[in-house]
Amino acid sequence: MQRTKASVSVEVKQVIGALCRLLAAVGVDSVPAPESFRRAKFGGGAEEDQFWQLLSSILQKAGVVPSEAGSQLGGEHRKWVAAGLWQTGYHADWMYESEGGDAEGGRSLSSRDLLLALGWLLASGTLEKLLTQRVQQLDKTLLTSVPVNLHLSNEFQSDSASLRRLQWLTGCLRHQGRILLSMLQERTRLLHAVFSANLSSTASSSSSQSSTVLKEDCSCIRQLCDLLEAYLNWTQVEKVFWTWMDSVVDCHLTGPVVKRPTHTPSGNLRVCHHGTWGLEKLEDMLLRLPTAQECNTHTSIRTQVSVFIASILYSLSSQEGQRRGRGDVKDREGGEKGQAGLDASFLPPFISSLPSVPALSQVCRARLRVEKPVRHRSCTAEDVHSGAEAPCELPVSQAAEMLLHAETLLLERRDRQRQANRTQLQEMIGRQDLLVLIPP
Amino acid sequence: MSVVTLQLGQCGNQVAHQLFHVVCSDAQNAHKKTYRAESCERFFHQNTHGELVARAVLVDMEPKVINHSLSEAARSGRWRYGESSHFSQKQGSGNNWANGYCVHGPRHRDVVEELVRREVERCDRLAGLVAMMSVAGGTGSGVGAYVTQCLRDIYPTSFIINHLTWPYGTGEVIVQNYNSVLTLAHLYQLSDAILVHENDTVHRICSQLLNIKHISFSDVNRVIAHQLGSVLQPALTTDSHGVYSRNPLGELVSALACHPEYKLLSMCTIPQMPSSSIAYSTFSWPALLKHLRQMLISNTKMEEGIDWQVRPPGGSGRSMGLTGGSFNTSLANLLILRGKDVYSAETGGFEDPALYTSWLSSKEAFNSWKSPVPFNKYEKSATLVSNSQALLRPLDDMVGKAWNMFASRAYIHQYTKYGISEEDFLDSFTSLEQVLSSYRHLC
Repeated sequence: MQRTKASVSVEVKQVIGALCRLLAAVGVDSVPAPESFRRAKFGGGAEEDQFWQLLSSILQKAGVVPSEAGSQLGGEHRKWVAAGLWQTGYHADWMYESEGGDAEGGRSLSSRDLLLALGWLLASGTLEKLLTQRVQQLDKTLLTSVPVNLHLSNEFQSDSASLRRLQWLTGCLRHQGRILLSMLQERTRLLHAVFSANLSSTASSSSSQSSTVLKEDCSCIRQLCDLLEAYLNWTQVEKVFWTWMDSVVDCHLTGPVVKRPTHTPSGNLRVCHHGTWGLEKLEDMLLRLPTAQECNTHTSIRTQVSVFIASILYSLSSQEGQRRGRGDVKDREGGEKGQAGLDASFLPPFISSLPSVPALSQVCRARLRVEKPVRHRSCTAEDVHSGAEAPCELPVSQAAEMLLHAETLLLERRDRQRQANRTQLQEMIGRQDLLVLIPP
Repeated sequence: MSVVTLQLGQCGNQVAHQLFHVVCSDAQNAHKKTYRAESCERFFHQNTHGELVARAVLVDMEPKVINHSLSEAARSGRWRYGESSHFSQKQGSGNNWANGYCVHGPRHRDVVEELVRREVERCDRLAGLVAMMSVAGGTGSGVGAYVTQCLRDIYPTSFIINHLTWPYGTGEVIVQNYNSVLTLAHLYQLSDAILVHENDTVHRICSQLLNIKHISFSDVNRVIAHQLGSVLQPALTTDSHGVYSRNPLGELVSALACHPEYKLLSMCTIPQMPSSSIAYSTFSWPALLKHLRQMLISNTKMEEGIDWQVRPPGGSGRSMGLTGGSFNTSLANLLILRGKDVYSAETGGFEDPALYTSWLSSKEAFNSWKSPVPFNKYEKSATLVSNSQALLRPLDDMVGKAWNMFASRAYIHQYTKYGISEEDFLDSFTSLEQVLSSYRHLC
């Protein structure tokens, strides 16, 4: 067991190493060492600056943040990074915190948050964007993509004539591709010939001008090869990284506060604050109770459905779905209670039309400031402040009873909703059956 | 930018030999240096003695034709075949496709592949492979189909074009239609484009245009070689920006055969006349192109006997000529003009959308290549390579005859004993019926 764990951690280190090499190859400055990633997982404070630098460098390279934003580690600079992350669609608590929060000590930012943000950037395709940019810089023979005339798609009809035309055009493109490929082969061959001729006649300074161009070209191609190799290495092990990232998310969920313990409340004044926070957690947990389960049922049904209507129903792959699902959980943990728990863009309309639970949770909220509420997920087992005494306290047994009652209610509601969703899905499948699917 | 030619079987060897002859003499007679250099690089390489050596691999199961070709080429003094780029055996395939495809092909696979590889490695850049063969016999068709399959495996992204000679309808070999059906069905999956010459058509050209009394195979081959040469010799294409195209086969295929269901290309050239009369004739581009256009739409393969009544369909349906010939719809056409004042030639007549299917615009369907260098002594000449319904009828006849024989299971045992089952026959029939149907419904 120990050994496997050790080998896993070694593997993770190698994988992160591959990522670091790739990041460096695409031209990102100040890439931290793999070890820093590991420490950042546990919220190490020393790594924070490194990750600020890394994020800012990535965002600048990707053109999300203007390069004038600078690289000094001021508060202004961090604002830029936060704004850049926000633009890429990432939301987290710490982004909304004012700088003043720092002084008060209520700041919840740790290097893990930055690591998660990095994970988001990677998952949302920033890496591929950077890679494409870099390849275009290095390979001067590449044609930049011509803006495609999209009016064709508007008037496209799925009759046989259009289909044949499309097949013809596809074939034509394929032939063009083969012609380009053979041109590339010839170019490589010639370049090789020139290169080897250059090597054999080293002292030919007369042709210095042409040989500088050639040398530049040669070094560009070498860099290109290294870059592509780094990307290849990364894609082969990417899966391990995402598994590790999942563990980071888990870590984030189980121990959300790293710096909090440093501000241990000393009196009743603090109790209120922490008590509210605990309540919020609890409420959040209750909110999640039905939705998480809905989510599960939904996923399992979706996999079945996707066999038939994969491309039509959702464009999300199940992996992405899971990944985003996790991010979702994390977001909610972060306190975005405005959404009813689930990202509407991620769900089909009928799931997001769930009946909301707040009424029930409100009932519980007043009384549940007790230890050991009924827990459905171990990950939320954090220390609700036991020393906190509040006037509206209930006996444990009573609270447990109430919670059990609430649970039954919720379970019933969940079953009903599940049933409704299933019928709805079946109807939808019935409708989709009539469609003819054309394989890509 | 070079083309490697595979000469397969008796017919393939003879036609290809003639092609090299035509190409070489055309290049050496040309006054333009770049044209000559480009043509030579395309078809020949130079050996240590400075002689032109054809980029060709000769394969036959009998030694006779290959030996003849080798000595003929060497005797010409202009070019020769490579010392060791040929392969032959003592025993032929007996006009049996199955024998060639199932026995000879696999048995000699390694040797042939090695020969081709050597030729390919001699090229700075491989433009593609041209496999030349007949469809009627055993070696050309059977071994040819097998070798094409191997080449497709080894060179998946290279352009592979097959040049096929279709037999006389009256028959040279009793099982020619079986062999043809099996060959075509197999090549249709493998080849990028299939260039077809029908012996009947070429024979008529020999007798009516060239006034040859006793027509031999070499006369027929010379006509085929002339037409092929006019396509494959260097030309300025739309993509080549003022220099000779570096990618003749790729551009040919891109212009004509982008759709996997339509790969059959037919050819016609104008003018064709006895060499003695060329000196006394004058040609004008408008007249040549007018004739060529009418040859295309009335599906006539030579200048004589053109049905001038056939017109492209107007708004309603297709119009019929008075003699009953129907309009020949094209999918795509490639016009190759060579000779004097070539840039003044007006090719607008071929850009008429009425000539083409409704689903491909004439801009995509029509391409033209030009070269100011006269080809093969003709002051002006035009060749049209066409992906059209022109081959529909002969193919239909071929498949029909083969099916009639198959229905009575005639000679089937000759094939099954080598491992070609009735199922294989049925598969081939099915795929050719699909081809026929695709071309029939081209409109």
